[in-house]
Amino acid sequence: MYRFSFCFLLSCPTFVLTQALAQVPAAQQDSTLRLQPRQLSEVVVTATRTERSITEVPIPVLVVSQPQIKAMGALRLGDVLREQTGLTTVNDHGQGIQLQGLNPEYTLILVDGEPLIGRTAGTLELSRVAVGNIQRVEVVKGPASALWGSEALAGVVNIITQKPQPGTSGNIRLRYGTNRTADLGGTFNAKGKKLGFTLFVNRYSSAGYTLRSAESPTVPPFASYTAQGRLSYQLGTHTTLSLSGRYYTESQQSDLRVTGETGEAAVVRYQSRQHDYNLNPVLTHRFSDKVFATARFYHSGYRTREDYTYRADGSPYDATYFNQTFTRPEVQLDWQLRPTQVLTTGAGYVLEAVEATRYDQRQQLRAHYVFAQHDWSPTPRLNLVTGVRYDGHSQYAGQLSPKLSARYQLRSWLAVRGSAGRGYRAPDFRQLYLNFSNPTVGYSVFGTNQVQAKVAQLAAQGQLATDPDTGQPVIYDAVLAQASGLTAENSLAYNLGVQLDPTAKLQFTANAFRNDLRHLIETAVVALKTNGQSVYSYRNVTRAFTQGAEVDARYQLRPDLTLSGGYQLLFAKDKSVINRIEAGEVFRKDPHTQQTERVQPQDYGGLYNRSRHSFNLKAFYENPKAGWSASLRGIYRGRYGFGDTNGNAILDAANECVPGYWLVNIAAAKTFRQRLTLQAGLDNVLGYTNPTYISSLPGRLAYASLTLALGKTR
Amino acid sequence: MKHLFLRPALAFLAASSLSLTACNDDNDNEETVTPALETKTVSSLAPQPAATTSTGQPGTAKHYTFYSLADNKEVPYTDSASTKWDVAFRSTTILTNGGTSGPGQGGAQVYSGLFNELKTVPETDFAKDAATTKAVPTGSGNGWYNYDQTTHLVTPIAGRVLVIRTATGKYAKMEVTSYYKESPTAPTLSTPSGYYSFRYMYQADGSRNLQ
Repeated sequence: MYRFSFCFLLSCPTFVLTQALAQVPAAQQDSTLRLQPRQLSEVVVTATRTERSITEVPIPVLVVSQPQIKAMGALRLGDVLREQTGLTTVNDHGQGIQLQGLNPEYTLILVDGEPLIGRTAGTLELSRVAVGNIQRVEVVKGPASALWGSEALAGVVNIITQKPQPGTSGNIRLRYGTNRTADLGGTFNAKGKKLGFTLFVNRYSSAGYTLRSAESPTVPPFASYTAQGRLSYQLGTHTTLSLSGRYYTESQQSDLRVTGETGEAAVVRYQSRQHDYNLNPVLTHRFSDKVFATARFYHSGYRTREDYTYRADGSPYDATYFNQTFTRPEVQLDWQLRPTQVLTTGAGYVLEAVEATRYDQRQQLRAHYVFAQHDWSPTPRLNLVTGVRYDGHSQYAGQLSPKLSARYQLRSWLAVRGSAGRGYRAPDFRQLYLNFSNPTVGYSVFGTNQVQAKVAQLAAQGQLATDPDTGQPVIYDAVLAQASGLTAENSLAYNLGVQLDPTAKLQFTANAFRNDLRHLIETAVVALKTNGQSVYSYRNVTRAFTQGAEVDARYQLRPDLTLSGGYQLLFAKDKSVINRIEAGEVFRKDPHTQQTERVQPQDYGGLYNRSRHSFNLKAFYENPKAGWSASLRGIYRGRYGFGDTNGNAILDAANECVPGYWLVNIAAAKTFRQRLTLQAGLDNVLGYTNPTYISSLPGRLAYASLTLALGKTR
Repeated sequence: MKHLFLRPALAFLAASSLSLTACNDDNDNEETVTPALETKTVSSLAPQPAATTSTGQPGTAKHYTFYSLADNKEVPYTDSASTKWDVAFRSTTILTNGGTSGPGQGGAQVYSGLFNELKTVPETDFAKDAATTKAVPTGSGNGWYNYDQTTHLVTPIAGRVLVIRTATGKYAKMEVTSYYKESPTAPTLSTPSGYYSFRYMYQADGSRNLQ
């Protein structure tokens, strides 16, 4: 009892497969579903690279839709993600997300299926993405390297932007709030029989804020601009061409106080500017009822520049830059083998280049990949998805990433799903090419691509310490060999969960996960310098795991009121630390008494920056007739470790933790004549701040916004 | 005058009575009958003055700060070429009075474990200071400290005991407890650094017994 329909969405590059099980009521094609819990018609594309109903995919996927984003009053991607179950925003050289307890560098971030580039120390700054033109955000939890390759180790965030809709429409939006934070912009959409067009422009600026009465602000004033557009054209009944592009730029400036060589203080002006752009033509063609092809080309660039000049005379103090480009052609073929089987295959080629202050010269990386996925429903209750991807790379060993996932409908209201797969993350530019010597402390760090040559060079220059016994330079050959053979970090991951729909009003999902990480990259000493400092490079040694469970429940209390709650339990530990503690080799010092003692296994608190418990409680109210909508959201982040205070570099004491805290956000909106919407909101109602450890929380933020819809109103 | 606070170790009585009752069985050599050694504590031994660097941090001092473990007092740097001192400190580097650093018989071993558990000097070789390598290894994670590249703080590694051979060939064990002035529990980048706080136990009789 299958119903397969092939519909062809004009600008959508992927193949549409709707699979409705006989036991499940047919998807209600009701466009007014919005915030209501039973979103059976909600379609996701990130889980299988084909369109599938979210309730039927065999892996955990979270979707945040546009009405929800609006009701939250969110401006940037970080605002949206930080309120979702299982996602935690963390700060390390920018705001990123932690997914299944893994750092931001392990989550791939896509816009319409193409990666955003420009990460700093592994973090892709989430505030670079405006949400005003987002149709929905999909988050796949668990490794997706079998489809998406490197970085999709913890999961994938795919931002789906709005496609051209029939007719002419648009909106203009203004918003102003605390810290002189202003957001203004608009969208424009037009679509005729063959040609469609969307444009989104946005300006976002803020005066920043200062948490501590220090001489420099916590967040200096900034202004950013985003322009994003898409043009789609139906070349024939079976062929569509679309072209989308994005440009983003942000500038920031502030004054810093420094002490000059002669000891006197000076004021230095800091100015930074970053931009990213991309261009993405996509050609789709339907060869037959059974075969659908997509050809995509993607080019993206990311540039940053930071200048420090003396305020007094404008002379330079320091300057850095970072330029990266990413180019990728890719083809994908979706083939309906049988009514119950779909084969998805694809191949691509990647050319990446980087040029930066801390790298010797322009560096290039090349990679190619092929992937295949078999989506099979042998019985109406069972769905099996098997996928595998191979990535070949110019700088490190090829990676084979398989994944198997399954979903079984036990009862009409109960389904179980499980998956096992491998994820990986390629070494990044810094790990490959860095050439950095700290001018004040005197240590050096070299990327693994050139560490051999650099160490030889230092030895020839007599900059390496000599061993008094042998008279040879102090070089740790074993570590140097490990560094030269650097390979990708990888994981084996397992997810097992249930989906329950006991009544039409209640939805419940639970998922347990385990990620076993191997070959994690860490810095290691490869040689000793004459100044007593070390020469560092990178090697794959660390093994760690993250495991836990998350539950999510939604209950529709009244037709216009939905309550939801989510909880995540998380354990994340370094396996080598566990082994060292068990062997009695780890000690700690009481910072008050200075007494040293042995750390016991039960003292180990795991990796830093992980909360054992985190949860959220939300209420969304929507009454379209009266034009009212409102939301109340509470997000709790449990206590987590920030760093070491007792001399063993691990988390093992209560004073190494940041206490847990609540963020409570409210927003309410009223729409007049279906055209003018006024919204007001208060973020962080409790005004929680922690200046010492959480610089990204500015305290209570009030705002008001006005949205005017243009064109035909529904 | 340098800040040099000498304070008797509070833990001494408890520690020594514990070790007296513990050393009853197979330690049959004559050292066991000698009275327990005293654990001495040195707080915030100040570095020599230095000019400030461009980043506002105190620069590396010109001279080391020399210390006699035998006499439990600071030695002026003008006596650096003598055997009056046993260890010397500058920035994160610790010297011993031997090899290229001084005329004495000094050297060191790094022992991983608890200060109180180290009861005799291990039979391993003592390293000596050389022109570019020191008996107490330099560099983060190699010797007595970790340097955090994010916070730029220097933290003594818990459970690292430096076994020192002094200028006159006697033995001592020492443990650095803080690198910052007045040993704050949570030092910051602006806390004056290079101020060594440590505790040590010195065996004056020339034996390898350290309890």
